Amino acid sequence: MTAVVTAPGGIIGSDRDQWAVETHGLVKRFGDNIAVDGVDLRVPRGCAFGYLGPNGAGKTTLIRVLLGLTRADAGTMALLGHEVPRDRAQALARVGAIVDEPRFHGHLTGRQNLQILAAAREPAAKGRISASLERVGMIQRADDKVSKYSMGMRQRLGVAACLIGDPQLLILDEPMNGLDPAGMREMREMILSLVAEGRTVVLSSHLLDEVERTCDAVAIVDHGHIIRQGPINELLQGASLALEVDCSEPDRAAALLAGTLVDANPVVEHLGLSVSFPAGTPRDVFAEVNRLLVEGGISVYRLQAIQASLESWFLQVTTRLGDPE
Amino acid sequence: MTTLQGVEPSAPADAAAPDHRGSWIPTWSMVTTRFMELRRRKGIMITIFVVVIALPTVFLAIRLLLHAVDPKSYGVAGGANIFAGLVAGVMYVFGFIVAAMLGCTAGSIDLSEGMFRHLVVTGRSRLALYLARIPAGLAIIVSMVAVGFAIICLVCSFAAPTTVSYDGATVPAGLSQPAFVNWAGDHWGTVICQFNFNGPNFGNVECGPNGFVGIAKNGVPGAPTSSAGQPTTAQLRAAAMKIAAQNYPDYAAIFLSPPISLMVGSGLWLLLETTIGFIVGLGLGSLLGQRTVSVILMIVLEIVLTPLLSRNRIPYLLNAQRGLVGVATGHLEPNGLITVVGSGGGPGGNLRLPETTTVAVIVILAWLVGWTVLGAWRMAKRDA
Repeated sequence: MTAVVTAPGGIIGSDRDQWAVETHGLVKRFGDNIAVDGVDLRVPRGCAFGYLGPNGAGKTTLIRVLLGLTRADAGTMALLGHEVPRDRAQALARVGAIVDEPRFHGHLTGRQNLQILAAAREPAAKGRISASLERVGMIQRADDKVSKYSMGMRQRLGVAACLIGDPQLLILDEPMNGLDPAGMREMREMILSLVAEGRTVVLSSHLLDEVERTCDAVAIVDHGHIIRQGPINELLQGASLALEVDCSEPDRAAALLAGTLVDANPVVEHLGLSVSFPAGTPRDVFAEVNRLLVEGGISVYRLQAIQASLESWFLQVTTRLGDPE
Repeated sequence: MTTLQGVEPSAPADAAAPDHRGSWIPTWSMVTTRFMELRRRKGIMITIFVVVIALPTVFLAIRLLLHAVDPKSYGVAGGANIFAGLVAGVMYVFGFIVAAMLGCTAGSIDLSEGMFRHLVVTGRSRLALYLARIPAGLAIIVSMVAVGFAIICLVCSFAAPTTVSYDGATVPAGLSQPAFVNWAGDHWGTVICQFNFNGPNFGNVECGPNGFVGIAKNGVPGAPTSSAGQPTTAQLRAAAMKIAAQNYPDYAAIFLSPPISLMVGSGLWLLLETTIGFIVGLGLGSLLGQRTVSVILMIVLEIVLTPLLSRNRIPYLLNAQRGLVGVATGHLEPNGLITVVGSGGGPGGNLRLPETTTVAVIVILAWLVGWTVLGAWRMAKRDA
């Protein structure tokens, strides 16, 4: 798996072939509304890349621009090293994508729908239909009409449609929609196996847990801007620290910590005490908390550092922080 | 989960075999899969079948049956007149409408059913995606219309009447001039009483409502008479043969079964009409992105606007009226068919808007090219 080369301010690298997706100052407007606002995105080859953002952040619009489904108003972009739209046909030859809900001709079977799509691709694509259907677990239902498919089955068929082109880059927009837990797990495993084969998967989703389990790196988009991008583990290092403390007299413990540690933010919860610290606080502060409590005559039963999750970090960095929803 | 069998994963992009997917020319596979997609639409296929095959077939089958059961009361099923009526009255109008329906479907359905996005993502030229629909759709509509037309041709040829009704007289069909004249000599009473002719008045020949009755005393004026003053049979026979010779050109213009030339011409004319219906429907469907509205507009064009504008001259708008594709195709209607929408050139044609054949051809080409360009342009520029 290719390592993601990043720096805090963005992804380093000048070789265009290094990136599966590369955009510079991409802009897409709908009237007065700017859906994509100067996006600079670089997705390294051979990784699972999460593209996250709240509803209406411009995720799908960016994907549509990348795929030539709609035109950009400004900026440049390249897929697999090919400039788009100038070399669009060459670029999309090795790209598979699901955008929004996958829809097909309902009066045809899944296999027949794939035959139509394979005909628009290279001649070898037709020979990959059965293998693609098998890979997504649809071979048994391949000859049923799509109108009889569930949402989850159409999602799988959408992935199969991507695979018939033997893509180097897959762009999947909310591929978990409509899948049951088992289906989500299979989809996750399939994405990981595709990445293991050296393919690049861009996963647009608001299911943060799934993205965290699946992706190596993410970009967070909000109001059309990319506000953070990089490997997940590096990004989470910049998230705030949290400590869960199980102790006697939590109220007195909270008061003690608040009066002693300037950066601590203790909150009494029904299971005990939760203390959060700003990003960048050294882990030594945990030992300091324990010492202060013990010296204050408070019994400490358990002290646990809480790993910052993508979800909590996402809520910190997006403007949705503090929204009632 | 299994891996893609026989597929080398993540091959370099440039290693992909050149497939010319940026080319505007559709591949054979694109045409055949599009054909398959349209052919499996049960609703529209049943509609086309009913209109261009079942309708004329049932009509002709009923006529065959009735004639078989009661030949005296019911005429034969086929013949040139039935052919002319079915081709111009049914196949022309309804063939255009169902072709337009298929075209509108082909032009809009990818968009409304969400497949357009998948197809665009393949990187294939949008123009090629559009153009693939033309041979696919035409293969369907032309073959269906051809089947209906062939049934009409067969029945009208093989179940044609065996005698001609000429000036109310029953005459064998397909006679040469000498044979026709000989037949007239054998049926001189019928000929003298019922045929139109220029020449002496056979006032002495008594004719009733059903033809020849007898000879008047004064005989046939100008004809030699017998000693009793009555024309001889030989004299009447000679007069009838003379009349028949005068009438032969009109008789020869009557066909029992449609002549080959008329069937070929009508077939090509129907082919042109269905092609126009499909191409215009395809362009309109692609332009609007909606099937229902497109179909309604095409029906309005065919059964409201075209008859209306072809029957009435509107000052200062004559050239615009001539620009209507229905007027132009009506101008190319083969002689021998009944007139369609008031602008046909057939017998009794009511050519309200005279135009040259060149203008008609230019108008038709302009419609075909114009709607193709419009539909393809919209498809190329549309957000997917």
